[in-house]
Amino acid sequence: MGSEMKSVFQKCLIAGVALATSLGSAAAANGKVSVAAISGYFAQGFGVSIVNGLNKAKDEFGVDLKLVDTGNRALDYEEQFANLAKGGQYDLIFVMGWELVDALQKASAAYPDQRFVFIDGVLDSDKMIYANFAEEQGSFIAGALAGMIENKGSAFDKIGDGKSIGFVGGRDIPVIRNFLGGYEQGSKYAAPDVKVNSVFAGTFDDPAKGSELAQALYGQGTDIVYNVAGPTGEGVMQASAAVDKYSIGVDVDMCASAPGNVLASMLKRGDIAVYSLIKDEVEGRKVTAGTRTFDLASGGVEVKICDDIAPSIPADVTAKLDEIKKGIADGSIKVERHK
Amino acid sequence: MSDRLRAFYGQIIALAIALALGALIIVLIDESPINVFMTLVRGAFGDQSKIAGTLLQTTPILICGIAACIGLRGGMFNVGIEGQLFLGGFAAAWVGFALPLPAGLHVVVGMVAAVLAGAAWVAIPAYFRARYNTNEVVSTILSNYVAVLLTSYFTIFLFKRPGGWSETPPILPTAYLPELFSFSRLNWGLVIGLALALFVAWFFRQTAKGYSISMVGSAPKFAEYGGIDVKRQGFLVLLASGAVGGLAGGVETLGVHHRFMEGFAPGFGFDGLIAALLANGSPIVTIFTALFFGALRNGSLLLETDTSASREIITVIQALIILSVSAQVLMKRRGDSTAGERRWKF
Repeated sequence: MGSEMKSVFQKCLIAGVALATSLGSAAAANGKVSVAAISGYFAQGFGVSIVNGLNKAKDEFGVDLKLVDTGNRALDYEEQFANLAKGGQYDLIFVMGWELVDALQKASAAYPDQRFVFIDGVLDSDKMIYANFAEEQGSFIAGALAGMIENKGSAFDKIGDGKSIGFVGGRDIPVIRNFLGGYEQGSKYAAPDVKVNSVFAGTFDDPAKGSELAQALYGQGTDIVYNVAGPTGEGVMQASAAVDKYSIGVDVDMCASAPGNVLASMLKRGDIAVYSLIKDEVEGRKVTAGTRTFDLASGGVEVKICDDIAPSIPADVTAKLDEIKKGIADGSIKVERHK
Repeated sequence: MSDRLRAFYGQIIALAIALALGALIIVLIDESPINVFMTLVRGAFGDQSKIAGTLLQTTPILICGIAACIGLRGGMFNVGIEGQLFLGGFAAAWVGFALPLPAGLHVVVGMVAAVLAGAAWVAIPAYFRARYNTNEVVSTILSNYVAVLLTSYFTIFLFKRPGGWSETPPILPTAYLPELFSFSRLNWGLVIGLALALFVAWFFRQTAKGYSISMVGSAPKFAEYGGIDVKRQGFLVLLASGAVGGLAGGVETLGVHHRFMEGFAPGFGFDGLIAALLANGSPIVTIFTALFFGALRNGSLLLETDTSASREIITVIQALIILSVSAQVLMKRRGDSTAGERRWKF
């Protein structure tokens, strides 16, 4: 009797699983693309930009979209990846956040047919798709802008005659060096006389240290500081307001963090990256493993000059920036990546 | 009907009320409660890996719950289990990656370090409680923030793995708490938790020391007349509770994550406390309340992917459970003026 019950139960279970699986494959056979995205940061900064891109793709192409919020308990991550990948109903699963890397790698090994897209970084595995950003190109523009403004000297509000611009990095790691390299090349290209002072905070999590380092740079006659330092960089933005000089934000639009003192932000357009990946998939260009770099030409990175500053930017600077953008896009200006 | 049976029915009714209110909220967000409930059950017990996942979630809640039970029985509200878990987890991980030892010994030393770290951390509020009669609820709550940030500091500034996320280097395989099955991360931590629950239950029921602790918890004045050093015993009770809290962290880092990550396990201390309160401070009943919460949590992960309801709906239902259980206790106290034997207040 008991075993009979058990077998009935098992049959129900199997039928349920089979039904779910067939529904999943029906969706795929339908030609309808279905994507999921998993992260703990959909509500802030870069994550909001990604959600915008996903929703745009959903509205325009009618793709099925599932957003999964991981929360912040590390114990949950692996189970959540398994829940998403197990049914096989998602063509692409977008993943954002370094804290998920461990769970992602395990899921990728356990479900080799599932295509995962890791946003904003490249890992060791060659099984995944990486949406990477040409930070050096955006930083090149940021460097060119800062260099040219600095070159104006006291003709530009809040600028002195120090002829030096600054850079505060989080930790001294290759990816941050890549930002710095682009920034230096851009400044050198557009304003060869201007010197770049760079420092590394050694941490991404210490706004106080960022503020301290930025104040030291401003004290040495540096008028514009570019921060690539996560939360540490918040301190840089605050310092620029405290001493009434300029700062440049990174990743997302940071103009609001110190209005009047933020010159521009170097944006990584997560929305454009996810949208164009989904677009490729929908239009039959299957997205395959490997690194996809979103650069200036594709709009994946850009420098947004803050609205309150934009009117005071001299016309020759704007013209030169446009020329540089064109040059990078058509390849006549080469921006070296940090190796 | 015996009192125990009535209490049991009371808890069941409280649960039913909470679930009904939860269902109402699910209807309000345009999802079917039946679908949500079925998904929850499937997510918690759908197959062997789901069951193992539920037990994996249960483990830290259970151990934190036992830590809370020890405090509750002795009349001490240890609300700092969260912080003890973080420090215990860090201490165990530190032994794991910084102190090469032979297999077997390594994991034991790691767990001992976790226990000591948890006890040491609660010793500060426990000392002030014993010496100056400060309120241990406030001081242990506050010590949580310090503990979490302190371990963040250790992780980010002193022991960060080069590159990547804010975490320590991985622990050596000799310090791994062995896994129970090949298909899950479920490990010996569950066995440790179950054994501990049985031991603590036995200790309170069968030993003189356990009796004297319960006595201090239920009737401190009487116990003091009876010659028990109430202050000293309260100090030791908090120490034991903190030690178990630390153990929970050690189980997580050595058994599951194999490293320490900044902010890795938020909320387990509080989940454990709630499980213990629901169980009226009984370690044995805590096994089941912890399992209940573990199942809710693991089920909620499937909820997030398979329905349009958010994982957070479970947090809401948990809160409703707490509300209705405490309401039930309050109503009982009003109805029965001889309820003075209740050991603690909600």
